[in-house]
Amino acid sequence: MLTRKEFMKAGTLLGASLAAGFGFHGGTRARADVMRPPGALPEDEFLARCIRCARCGDACPNQCILPFTEETGSPFSLTPGAGQVRTPAIFPRRQACSLCVGSEGDELRCTAACPTGALQVIKKTPEAIQEKVSMGRAEVDPNLCYSFQGSSCGVCVQACPFERRALKAGLFERPEVDPEVCIGCGLCERACIRYPQAITIVPDMTRAT
Amino acid sequence: MKLAPKRRFPVWPFRRSVQLLVVVALFAFPVIARYNHYLAARQLDKQIERWEGSTQGLVLQVTDAALRVGIPDGESGVPTRRPRRAILERSRGFHGSPWSAEVGGVSLTDPLAATESACASWAAPWVLISGLLLPLALTVLLGRVFCGWICPMGLLFDLSAWVRSLLPKLLEIKPLDLRFSRGTKYLLLAVGLALALLTGDAVLNTFYPPAILGREAHSFVFALFDRAEDGMPGLALVGVTGGTAFLLLLMGLEVAVAPRFWCRTVCPGGALYSLLGRWRLVRVRRKRDVCIDCTICDKVCPQGELPMTDRTVSECDNCGECIDACPVRALGYRIAVTSKPMTGRPLPVATSATVATVAPLTPEGVSLAGAEPAELPEGGAS
Repeated sequence: MLTRKEFMKAGTLLGASLAAGFGFHGGTRARADVMRPPGALPEDEFLARCIRCARCGDACPNQCILPFTEETGSPFSLTPGAGQVRTPAIFPRRQACSLCVGSEGDELRCTAACPTGALQVIKKTPEAIQEKVSMGRAEVDPNLCYSFQGSSCGVCVQACPFERRALKAGLFERPEVDPEVCIGCGLCERACIRYPQAITIVPDMTRAT
Repeated sequence: MKLAPKRRFPVWPFRRSVQLLVVVALFAFPVIARYNHYLAARQLDKQIERWEGSTQGLVLQVTDAALRVGIPDGESGVPTRRPRRAILERSRGFHGSPWSAEVGGVSLTDPLAATESACASWAAPWVLISGLLLPLALTVLLGRVFCGWICPMGLLFDLSAWVRSLLPKLLEIKPLDLRFSRGTKYLLLAVGLALALLTGDAVLNTFYPPAILGREAHSFVFALFDRAEDGMPGLALVGVTGGTAFLLLLMGLEVAVAPRFWCRTVCPGGALYSLLGRWRLVRVRRKRDVCIDCTICDKVCPQGELPMTDRTVSECDNCGECIDACPVRALGYRIAVTSKPMTGRPLPVATSATVATVAPLTPEGVSLAGAEPAELPEGGAS
């Protein structure tokens, strides 16, 4: 049985460890809208399932999945909020999702590596990717885009894996996003020659497969 | 005759080999991830050439050599070409950390990770359970072996214990020896899982040392390669965060304040493994008639169990330090569901002379190699 003294000692230790745990946990800051790997569940469910093991990041042939920390988020003005520390995130400006094009395997590799189902397995076919992947939507800022400012560029349109469907080139190579087709891989943002980027991904925090 | 011939197979070399292998994997897996990345992008040879003579270049070359073992050269009919497809296929099977990893294509998830994920999400999909099968089976059969044989922090805490044992000799400092109730970790496990169930937030993984160590190793290796890609190859202390400071703090506390307090008192993973391994089939058991009641085993036990009094119920991690330390080979692994002592063929002599011979072997004198065999003069009674 516990003696009173032992109980007090244990209680102190418990309190200290819990405080340390919450410290590492990131407190109660509001959550950031951050792009998740393909196949991710809606944010609440994703955070509950994810064990922060970094297996998806290891498996990614394009090494675009990073643990979301103050450091990795800071170049993109993103700070992890409650429960988001060390969860996998994609920062397309740094490296976008290549949808495993050109790598081996029948599934998107991060989804096949996930041990908890936080990322749902997605087959590597154009149909499955179109239907099930929803990382975000591309948005064009006409004030920044060269093609809206008297030059014609079209780099983002060339980079789009669903070229002429998700991202169409209009007059003067002006990009037009079809939000029904765009899955938010971020290759257009990665390719944009403007800084700050004229085309960016708005993460889809309600994604579901 | 010799009373206690040296064990032909002491436990410690096997245990240390397994632990070292885990430490190597801890750093090798993120390296393999980067290797795979460069290979997939057909940039591997370029990077090796670019980083020639630096750590990154060497590490990539070693990884390349290791992953190519057994795969014949040649691809697409060119006999000298690197077998890219086959290596990519193989290297995919090694990734992750002690928290959850794929080793040779087999998915392994820490039961604590799986339990916490299931509690927080109120779901237990097949992918979670399939990664749990092997660790769970091992724990049920062999007990808390993760703690004693696999957990990389176990090795670091053993290092702390060694440093601690040097303090009185080298610096003439007597470190504090605080002991806490070993029941605390069960309370902590229950609180953590309850929090997960109620709030959907996973808390335990934020201070579970092997999980932290895995993240720190990943972040360190990736930061090193990122630096090299930015044109600064070579070793540097980059990517480490507060997690490393936390682990160093724990090690420092174990050295100076409370030996092995983390595994004994705090670790929620240890608590879960203890519960799961309660009815393990492989146990350390004592031969009552052989034992000379010297209590060396009680003093060396890292988990604070008492093998000499047969009180090795659920905390025992089957590390075998007591087995190696026993001067008369009274302890050994046995297939059994109980830790009660067994009868054994009594050794020839168990006299005060024997006890006098082994008594100087205080725990500080017991090396990791186990106690030196105690010898009786030739011609002892048989």
